[in-house]
Amino acid sequence: MSYTDRFLRYIQTVLLIALMTLTFQSQVSAEPPSSKYGGQLVFAIVSDPKSFNQIMAKEASTTAVTGFLFEGLTTTNAHTTQVEPHLAESWEVSEDGLQWTFHLRRDVRWNDGQPFTADDVVFTFNDLIFNENIPSSARDIYTIDGQQFLVEKVDKFTVRFTLPIRFAPFLRGMGQAIFPRHKLKQLVDDGKFNFSWGIDADPREIVGTGPFKLVRYDPGQRLLYEKNEHYWKVSDDGERLPYIDKIVYLIVGNEDVQLLKFMEGSTDSYSVRGLDYPLLKPLEKERNFTVYDLGPDTGSQFLFFNQNTGTNPETGQSYVPAHKLRWFTDLSFRRAVAHSIDKQRIIEIVKNRLGYPQWSPIGPASAFFHKPDVTKYEYNLETARRILAEAGYTDRNGDGYLEDSQGQKIEFNLATNAGNIQRTDIASIIRHDLEKLGMKVNFQTLEFNTLVTNINSTFQWDAIILGLTGGIEPHFGKNVWNSAGQLHMWYPRQEQPATEWEARIDELFNMGVQELNEEQRKVYYDEFQQIVSDQLPLIYTVLGANVSAVRNKFGNLDPTNYGGVFHNIEELYILEEYR
Amino acid sequence: MTNKPYESMSEFQMALRTFSRNRVALFCVLVLFLLYMGAIFADFLSPYRYDNEDRRYSYCPPTQIHFFDDGAPSWPFVYGIDLEYNEYHKRIYTEDRSKKYPVKLLMKGDEYRLLGFIPIKTHLWGVEAPGRVYLIGADSRGRDLWSRILYGSRVSLSIGLIGVFISFTIGLLVGGISGYYGGRVDNILMRIAEMVMMVPGFYLLLALRAAVPPDFNSVQVYFAIIIILSFIGWAGLARIIRGMCLSLREREFVMAAKSIGLSDFKIIVRHILPHTLSYSIFAVMLSIPGYILGESALSLIGLGIQDPFASWGNMLSDAMSIVKIKFYPWILVPGFFIFITVISFNVVGDALRDALDPMLKSEGQG
Amino acid sequence: MALDKTLKFVRSNGMFLYVMKRLLISIPMLLAIALLTFILMQMTPGDYLDTMRMNPQMSEETIEYYQKLYQLDQPVWKQFGAWLINMCKLEFGYSFHYNVPVTKIIGGRLFNTFILSLASFLLTWAVAIPLGIWAALNRNKFSDRFIQFMSYVGLSMPSFFLAMIFLYFASQTGVLPLGGMYGPNHEDLNWFQKIWDVMRHMAIPAVALSVGSIAGLQRIMRGNMLEVLGQKYILTAKAKGLPQNRIVYHHALRNAVNPMITLLGYEFSGLLSGAALIEIICSWPGLGALMLTAVRSKDIYLVMASMMMGGFLFLIGNLLADIALAKVDPRIRYD
Repeated sequence: MSYTDRFLRYIQTVLLIALMTLTFQSQVSAEPPSSKYGGQLVFAIVSDPKSFNQIMAKEASTTAVTGFLFEGLTTTNAHTTQVEPHLAESWEVSEDGLQWTFHLRRDVRWNDGQPFTADDVVFTFNDLIFNENIPSSARDIYTIDGQQFLVEKVDKFTVRFTLPIRFAPFLRGMGQAIFPRHKLKQLVDDGKFNFSWGIDADPREIVGTGPFKLVRYDPGQRLLYEKNEHYWKVSDDGERLPYIDKIVYLIVGNEDVQLLKFMEGSTDSYSVRGLDYPLLKPLEKERNFTVYDLGPDTGSQFLFFNQNTGTNPETGQSYVPAHKLRWFTDLSFRRAVAHSIDKQRIIEIVKNRLGYPQWSPIGPASAFFHKPDVTKYEYNLETARRILAEAGYTDRNGDGYLEDSQGQKIEFNLATNAGNIQRTDIASIIRHDLEKLGMKVNFQTLEFNTLVTNINSTFQWDAIILGLTGGIEPHFGKNVWNSAGQLHMWYPRQEQPATEWEARIDELFNMGVQELNEEQRKVYYDEFQQIVSDQLPLIYTVLGANVSAVRNKFGNLDPTNYGGVFHNIEELYILEEYR
Repeated sequence: MTNKPYESMSEFQMALRTFSRNRVALFCVLVLFLLYMGAIFADFLSPYRYDNEDRRYSYCPPTQIHFFDDGAPSWPFVYGIDLEYNEYHKRIYTEDRSKKYPVKLLMKGDEYRLLGFIPIKTHLWGVEAPGRVYLIGADSRGRDLWSRILYGSRVSLSIGLIGVFISFTIGLLVGGISGYYGGRVDNILMRIAEMVMMVPGFYLLLALRAAVPPDFNSVQVYFAIIIILSFIGWAGLARIIRGMCLSLREREFVMAAKSIGLSDFKIIVRHILPHTLSYSIFAVMLSIPGYILGESALSLIGLGIQDPFASWGNMLSDAMSIVKIKFYPWILVPGFFIFITVISFNVVGDALRDALDPMLKSEGQG
Repeated sequence: MALDKTLKFVRSNGMFLYVMKRLLISIPMLLAIALLTFILMQMTPGDYLDTMRMNPQMSEETIEYYQKLYQLDQPVWKQFGAWLINMCKLEFGYSFHYNVPVTKIIGGRLFNTFILSLASFLLTWAVAIPLGIWAALNRNKFSDRFIQFMSYVGLSMPSFFLAMIFLYFASQTGVLPLGGMYGPNHEDLNWFQKIWDVMRHMAIPAVALSVGSIAGLQRIMRGNMLEVLGQKYILTAKAKGLPQNRIVYHHALRNAVNPMITLLGYEFSGLLSGAALIEIICSWPGLGALMLTAVRSKDIYLVMASMMMGGFLFLIGNLLADIALAKVDPRIRYD
């Protein structure tokens, strides 16, 4: 047979295959029409989860993929941001506000069919959160003045919490996810909990009460969820929720590819960055999606300096060289830096004008506690130079760089995490301005984990730009603001507050958490915000806007700034033509 | 090189003649010459320094240089730049016709050191501030892309040369020693070379990059990259040089050198390696692109030269974003510079090989 | 009896012996890669035991387990021994980034990289060989000149740049899916659609990866073909008046293609290396993309395991090429 013949045969086969595929595809799309049930929802996420163990998790990648799996006793209404019953259908509180009794719903089942009972609640608090052997950031929040809650089972569906002192955000705190005792008890007893529910776990072992359950995880590719057949919630029309059959998370490492996947229609939702807006917004009609601008988001980005006065017990050397510590603890130095952050241009360049300047540690997204009139530092390099000169930072030897009063050249490292382009852009802009002031700034991008290790364990760093996600309840930022907190990044885990203002913040948080009158609480947290804006332990930059693009294929869609687009995922249904 | 056989000189001249008849190759030599001149005089030729930014003009499109004012020919000038946002937050740049900035030659601007030591402020051309000229557009912070490409060429083009120099030095020595001595030395050296060659290049590149301390600054990273690329590059050359040396060591002139008692090292360096020169010349040309691409690839994925310093690779990393390419296509230009450089080296290398072909045959290598 | 039969089979089957021999030869090569990898790992700053200890998700037992496994408290040469033994047991250590043993992550990635490289490999040969023949037959005509020009362009176009441009055009037209390896409902498809789904996702990275190799291979094929066409026996055949097609396809082609087979292994390893970068740009979940994450997060065991696996794929490629060569070219005997 000649080569040409073979080639023709080859072409024939290819055509045949193509035809066959076409027919297969048309077969699949024909499904029987029905009510609101069925269909799937496709998301994209940037990275693989590091773990499914939500108690231990520190990174957003875990919380993102476990969000639909677990539920708490209460939940926060996405519109009113008020606390509402969830797994608990009602509760009573004693006169003194210290004893709370929760009545659990009786119709809740874990997604493996086991009933949800008071034992699970007691287990979650006593064996997981308050377990000394399990590192969890939740413990900080539920510990008041070093004392923990007493959690007791009253009967099969009643739990009683006894608080050592009054705890204002208690109900909101009861949004804490509850974990299944029947799956985890043995692991905790064997001391294996810390490394169970890792990404190599069998998805069937990860049991929650949420509307969806994990059925499959292909590392680097996707996560697949199916609806929890045992889910307790029922719609107003008496239909058992959720409506949607499947949720797929595609792992797409590159945000641009995520955007393209959304545009080509293979994902249903996309979190819009500023630069995408001019591209997506005009296409809304043509491509059949809607762009929702939900207001300022809760993720803050800030610059902070290492103010750790401690010394390494092993080597006897101070963590921060003495001269650098002198600058970093000098308020004038920090104020000068605050004056050289060009927030307006950062918003224009990095956020494409979809952003807001941030001045206060409690962002505008948490409307009630946000204090808009804190001290603000306008962008003015002249002011910054003047402040520096007055504090003794001038170019003493004419080398173009500033020296402090003892002749030390102002030179430090500024680090941020690699992989976050917006953050590196912000860092580059700030660095450029600091260099204009005459500081020598060495910029590095480090892997996120390395940064965190530096902040938490080695304490050897100069300046860092990082972000945190905030919430409505100011007290939940305690691990950042309390001077003994794990996340008190500029000087973590202090035995005694290093400065007066840090001591005052500790006090304010302690008073705020015990005050049940909301108005009075606001007074405390206002003072806290004022102190932070005056003392600048964290120098805030800009907030992004919470913009989402969603394909027009959902019923009951109800986006809010607090809850985002998919807060009522169990009620969402997929319009018939998209199932 | 006095000890080179006479006839090979004339062969070399013949090769040069063959080469100079190849017009395309000559053109590429010219292109490379211009590129390298651009790199050396980058600060003089560019209107701005690599980090001179104007944040108002984020992704400003190329500025039009006007040669006619109201229909009448005029000295080239640019208009001011006006910026508006449309309802979709898209930047709309227009010319502000009320402001005119003539293009100035030998203009005073950012200070720099010409050739590395003469402090000077004169730039070949530019426009007076507050006017701003972007020959091929601006990047996200309103830095001039053209200036950055010129500055970036310093990194991208020099990495090729230095990298090739280092790995050829290693490759020639190792290959020479290996081929000359043969036996066990040869065996060990060649096993090492094979080991390096066996790991797919990019994986080795990444693994070596992981061995670089994270707190290196840009200059240190630059040298680290050169060393990494050279480390990967020497092995292939060493093997080929070895092959040539194996046959060369049996030739009369080596025997003669041995008989007058020259040291082994002198024989290798003075008598054997020069005979591999013809091969080396075009092999150098053909392997430089590998270094340029290696640096670009590393910088592209964020493991190479860091902002604010420019290299073609890290400038191109901006173009990893489809949205940005769509709205600001000029950010792809560094990619074309890489392409032009690589194709020029390839053409010149090929032409050299064709020209040197007869010489290769006479050295016993087909 | 059984042994007898086996022996008989081995003796009678030269191919089998040949493959076994090649496999034996690859062992020292793998050892060599392991050594290189180990040296690199020693050079890398930072103590991985410390990293492990700082990770609250690691139990004391796990740390002790790895300390013992890799003999981390022993002198370096003993550590290398331990490392080697573990490599043989496919025990690659612990990934700090993913909090699981490396072995659990790397398998799937290895396969993905392999099929991407294989696809571009097949594409390269399927296009380059006919193109080279065509160019040789039309030597110095316009079509040949054009092909040669394009091959210069193809050779010099950085593959990552090409991938970026392809992605851009695909995003404009929407004909091909962008990024990743599977569509969202891949799980629901039958096996046939699954393959089709992967093929569609593979199109952009595979083509971007192949362009350079096609250009290079095409030039070699053209050269070989021209050389063969100039040989005496072809001229004789022409003089005998054999039809042009018969001369080309029957006589010339075979002799021109054979020397190319030696390039098989080399080509494959080149694609493998190039694939790493393309994977990163096209979000293909392969070994290269994994390795980049590992390098960025200093996940040292994962880096080293990826590198070992890269070397391993290279060896497999070489082996396949050798076998193909032995099959095609009767002059090579299996010894």
